[in-house]
Amino acid sequence: MFIRMIAKAFFRQWKKMAMIAFTIALGASLATAMLSVMLDVGDKVNQELKAYGANITVVPKGTSVLSSLYEMGEDENISGAYLKEEELGKIKTIFWAFNIADYAPFVNAELTLDNGDTVKMRGTWFNHHLSLPTGEELDAGVTSMRSWWDVIAGDWLDEQDDSGLMQAMVGRDLAEKEGLHAGDVLHLQGSSADAEVKITGIFDAGGDEDSEIYVPLDLAQDLAGLEGKIDSIEVSALTTPDNELAEKAAKDPSSLSVSQYETWYCTAYVSSICYQIEEVISDSVASAVRQVADSEGQILEKTQLLMVLITILSLIGAALGICNLVTASVMERSQEIGLMKAIGAHNIAITALVLTEIFCTALIGTALGFFAGIGFAQIIGHTVFQSAISVKPMVVPIVIVLVALVTLVGCIPAIRMLQSLRPTEVLHGR
Amino acid sequence: MKKRKMYFRMITASLLRRRSRMIIALLAIAIGATILSGLLTIYIDVPRQMRTQFRNYGANMILTPAEERIQPEAVAAALSFISQDEIVGVAPYRYETVRINDRPVLAAATDMQGAKAASPFWRVDGEWPDSDGEIMVGKNVADLYLLRVGSKTTATYMPEEATEDTLDNSSDFTVTGILDTGGKEEDYVYMSFADMQQLTGKDKGYDVCELSVSADAEGLRAYADRITGELSSVNAKLVKRVTQSEDTVLSKLQALVLLVTVVVLMLTMICVATTMTAVVAERRKEIGLRKALGASNSSIIAEFMGEGIVLGAVGGLLGALLGFWFAQTVSVNVFNSSIVLMPWLVPVTLLASVLVTAIACMIPIRSATDVDPALVLKGE
Repeated sequence: MFIRMIAKAFFRQWKKMAMIAFTIALGASLATAMLSVMLDVGDKVNQELKAYGANITVVPKGTSVLSSLYEMGEDENISGAYLKEEELGKIKTIFWAFNIADYAPFVNAELTLDNGDTVKMRGTWFNHHLSLPTGEELDAGVTSMRSWWDVIAGDWLDEQDDSGLMQAMVGRDLAEKEGLHAGDVLHLQGSSADAEVKITGIFDAGGDEDSEIYVPLDLAQDLAGLEGKIDSIEVSALTTPDNELAEKAAKDPSSLSVSQYETWYCTAYVSSICYQIEEVISDSVASAVRQVADSEGQILEKTQLLMVLITILSLIGAALGICNLVTASVMERSQEIGLMKAIGAHNIAITALVLTEIFCTALIGTALGFFAGIGFAQIIGHTVFQSAISVKPMVVPIVIVLVALVTLVGCIPAIRMLQSLRPTEVLHGR
Repeated sequence: MKKRKMYFRMITASLLRRRSRMIIALLAIAIGATILSGLLTIYIDVPRQMRTQFRNYGANMILTPAEERIQPEAVAAALSFISQDEIVGVAPYRYETVRINDRPVLAAATDMQGAKAASPFWRVDGEWPDSDGEIMVGKNVADLYLLRVGSKTTATYMPEEATEDTLDNSSDFTVTGILDTGGKEEDYVYMSFADMQQLTGKDKGYDVCELSVSADAEGLRAYADRITGELSSVNAKLVKRVTQSEDTVLSKLQALVLLVTVVVLMLTMICVATTMTAVVAERRKEIGLRKALGASNSSIIAEFMGEGIVLGAVGGLLGALLGFWFAQTVSVNVFNSSIVLMPWLVPVTLLASVLVTAIACMIPIRSATDVDPALVLKGE
């Protein structure tokens, strides 16, 4: 009989039930969408902040102290310490390998042009294709790590281009001084070899790089006679904002207790990633570029907090909306319930009936709303970040508990009213 | 006159008598309005607030001398082109090579307060120097010369036109802080201009002046062009890495808040509408009775609309205030600064909530008035 009554209620009053289900679906979709976006926004914004370039630099031990001190700003490597090129791939094997978004090695040297001018050359990766032992494929290099460069003539150098010509990119100031244009062929004289390169593009970096020439790493190593050697590595990593533990660890990892050390090592702090890079690259010092690393943390924190607060507001809004409608729709049925009471129904029986009806409706609404919410989250993800928002499994229980709780709370005033209802008065129409 | 009085009486009586229902409706509208005004305020104010956060990345404009050095007056003149409340930090620098333990090191003279404001990411172990005779050294310098916070050291300066019998100038300094930036700043020694002047005996000109200005890329470019154009002694350049990236990231963030606002608003407004519909649909019988008593459709609609508009206005007003309070809370918690009050949001919120309420009421009223009163009263 109970089941029949409920089934009847659905068929007879499907319009009202549909409206309740619809409102609950709206609320649930709002909650799902906002929670998904909120939980994923950190990763997404972190990815965007990669626009500022590397947040970790790796240099050989020794040079970090010596290099620019004596030569006063010159990048000439005088200490004779280098990193090994063959170890580069290891950066993608550290504990937080997944958080290494991009990296590029650099070799610096001076070249002589045909007219006798000396220019600074940097050899690096542009869009170097990496096939990692883990099966991951990655294009790493300055093309993505120098997103603020404007290529004012020509194009970015493409390492996969196999026309057989050696290529280079030239800074704006240098191009103006030497009268170079995109497409020109330039003769470069290095300390141990020389080469003819085709200029693929001229860039405007708004900094010192504007008077330098950029060439692929292997060419630079040939020209300068530094086969297999690199001067520095820039790493762009997705990191967690620093806290006290991270600051303590950054000063001296050995000052931590075992459990603190584990927490630190297994969290993507910039200092723990530096530490792990030092472990795999022999004789290296990895240090955080504070300008990028610290600011990133600040902005991430603020954005996340902002999203949390907006999410809370919309959750409260969704909750009150559902609550309200449930109350309104139960109150509306006072006559029907009065009649039931008049023919002898107990309060408990009526409450059970109403609750079951509402919860069945809520279940359907939540299911629909959940998928609609994922849809909304994806719309936001694709429009803003051009990538999908990953839906965390924890969103499901949160939404279910939220809707259940809210529906129950919405029923409370209505049920209290039902119980105090006097059948004669209601049926009389007062 | 009498008719209007009666109309008002009916509306107020209906609102007051059916208190519990009306509170539900009012609550629904107020929630919608709160979300509307709160999110709109945040959406409009977020770029401004976020921009101050992005100043953590440090200087975004560099003044370089057109000739030998920039004089302080030229910097002041350049700053006068920029709106005062947009200037976050000004850090002039003067570089000279000095010797510590007979080894050369680059010394930079700067205004410590200015450097602190222009480069908030500098991490200082110890204290920033705040009086003469105190210096801050970069981490690499500290490692090389084995300097610690509190150590004393002597810096010497050899005048360029040195002859055999001119003595080197030297000054004693106390290290108050060690600078960690992960950049080339770690190779410098920082001191005040007064100390630098005493040590080198040179005037106060600057080699470079870093500015941190809270403006978008276009505004910055306009400032830079004006400074370079109107002052012959100074060239202003933008730090492209900072300005360009800031615009990229900021526009993403703004788009995010916009889209979230749109989605939340859309869903909330529909939510409000369904609640209003439920509240009004309950009164089908009343509508039927009135029709049976001879009320015209238009007078019924007018009365219900009147109620709806009163509810919408009260709820909207409540929501506008709550929304402002919410935005203020968010701003204080997230950005530690208060929000700019936007008075035009109040009428907008009022209008939107009245509109949503009216549309939501219209649907059930229409369906009730279209039906034969006998059917409605019979309950079919």
